[in-house]
Amino acid sequence: MAAVLGISAYYHDAAAALVVDGRVVAAMQEERFSRIKNDAALPIRAARACLRVAGLGAGDLDAIVYYENPFAKLERVLTWLLRNFPRSYGQFPRAIAEQLGSKLWVLDGIAEGVGAPRAKVRPSDHHECHAASAFFTSPFEKAAVLTVDGVGECATTTIWKGEGSALTALGHIDFPHSLGLLYGALTAYLGFEVNEGEYKVMGLAAFGAPRFRDEFAKLLTLRDDGSFELGLPYFAYDTGSNVGFSAKMERLLGPRRPVGRAWDLDSDASDRRFADIAATLQAVTEDALLALAREARRRTGAEALCLAGGVALNAVANARLLREAGFARVSVHPAAGDAGGALGAAILGSIALGDPRPSALTSAALGEEIDVAAADSLARALGLDPVRISDPAATAAEHLLRGEIVAVCQGRFEWGPRALGQRSLLALPGDPKVRERLNRVIKRREPFRPFAPAVPADRAAEWFEEAPSDLTAFMTTVCPVRPSARARLGAVTHVDGSARVQTVTGSSAPFLDGVLAAVGKGADLPVVLNTSLNGPGEPIVAAATDALGFFVGYPVDAMLVGDLLLVRDRKRESES
Amino acid sequence: MNRFISRLRTVGALVVYFTRRERMFLAPLLLVLLLASLLLLLTGGLGYVAPFVYSLF
Repeated sequence: MAAVLGISAYYHDAAAALVVDGRVVAAMQEERFSRIKNDAALPIRAARACLRVAGLGAGDLDAIVYYENPFAKLERVLTWLLRNFPRSYGQFPRAIAEQLGSKLWVLDGIAEGVGAPRAKVRPSDHHECHAASAFFTSPFEKAAVLTVDGVGECATTTIWKGEGSALTALGHIDFPHSLGLLYGALTAYLGFEVNEGEYKVMGLAAFGAPRFRDEFAKLLTLRDDGSFELGLPYFAYDTGSNVGFSAKMERLLGPRRPVGRAWDLDSDASDRRFADIAATLQAVTEDALLALAREARRRTGAEALCLAGGVALNAVANARLLREAGFARVSVHPAAGDAGGALGAAILGSIALGDPRPSALTSAALGEEIDVAAADSLARALGLDPVRISDPAATAAEHLLRGEIVAVCQGRFEWGPRALGQRSLLALPGDPKVRERLNRVIKRREPFRPFAPAVPADRAAEWFEEAPSDLTAFMTTVCPVRPSARARLGAVTHVDGSARVQTVTGSSAPFLDGVLAAVGKGADLPVVLNTSLNGPGEPIVAAATDALGFFVGYPVDAMLVGDLLLVRDRKRESES
Repeated sequence: MNRFISRLRTVGALVVYFTRRERMFLAPLLLVLLLASLLLLLTGGLGYVAPFVYSLF
């Protein structure tokens, strides 16, 4: 019986997770507290919040597990610098700053920040933590486990066999050969921010055709056994370059796209070319993942596949894995990126201390509860006239059925990058004008980016093919929208006829389940558009202050914080 | 004092790790980097280190 805190930090998406007596009690990303998107700083606020949820203090912890081994990382960095000297000369200052400035001392920093003895803090293995987060929170007793990301200590891709409470390593591919780094380099080439713009590349891919296959064959060599190699001259990991690709890649694919230029896919030929490059990247990534998954199946003989690592957030590729890799079931951890490593670390620590593996994750609501009383007093102080209501789900549905955009904050916030009904913006799914308003006025993002639908799990098959599945609960796949339903689901159907469906049950998201039931009664279509409750460049809302700040800053029509209703008074706003 | 002991523990663990992995040939480079980092810290030079597209290190 143990309380184990898991920590991921210092690369991107720092997070803390707490497992007590083999039960996942809390898991939160630091960005929700610091309000810095993808914050990589030591997640001390998130760790304290996890302890608050459990009613524990730092002294009650039996172990703290960091999600990777800083010494192994340093070994890889030093050997890489040596191997590539003198080309790597320009990287020395960076290596010094990042490794010796803070990362080497991360275990000390965690002990000091959390207030626990240093002896209780120990490192783990990056990809084993990813694998643990995927397998030990899945519903499977036996599964193949595939982890794919940028780079951990040294590995970029690993295959495991998961059985009961054990993970057995079966194979790995090491840095610099990495699908995550390939996707990251092309994300930068296309003018997006790495570790943030990969979703945009995936959405953009649907607008292009994969006509650059020959060029990409030089960037990535795929083998039949699932292994792969990057064409290293096209990348810039051995020099001091500020981007991940070399001049040779620009000679191969053409000049990079300028950062921040507005997209015009209708009339700009160069933007259509960039969309084709995105489409080719997506196709090649899917091919590589498919080969890896087939190899994992061959090595394990398992009927189920678990995925984690940043590349596992590629919902389009996940859909293809479910369809074509030969597995009966596929599951992806809701926080598949580095944040999820914190939960994997905590689970590995818990199992090492003799506790059972956790039960399957059915809800991603692992954050802190919204403080409705604090929201009430803040709203009154701001003169927003909050009203307490008896049935928040029915009230949300009433506003939605009027064509309004409704912000909701209900219960504990979500674990991972997806808003799943606890901190969401909701709207009806039929009108593309709603998508335009959301994209341009509230989210202020590229017009080609799609929105996701939420639908009751037991009725999903009426409108979406391949739903429900293990992937749809956490919005980690896309499903074809049935052709007959596309006209009614215009705001959530992507240009390729797909949608990133979330299937909802009373246990996964009770409030959203209630909203869907009420909307279904009023509109005969229990589907809503569900997108994250955040403005451009902001982390998703966590606390009451963030929620009220959002309501004041963005033109949503109504907000529900628990049973507290705020309605936008447009008349008063226009008078003032 | 606790902080100092904690850092010593980390240095000890690092030496044990490198010894077990037969990577002690990296020790001179590590030493040079440690000294250089100390110099950079003392001169405030770390602020001039450029960001990278992906956290390889």
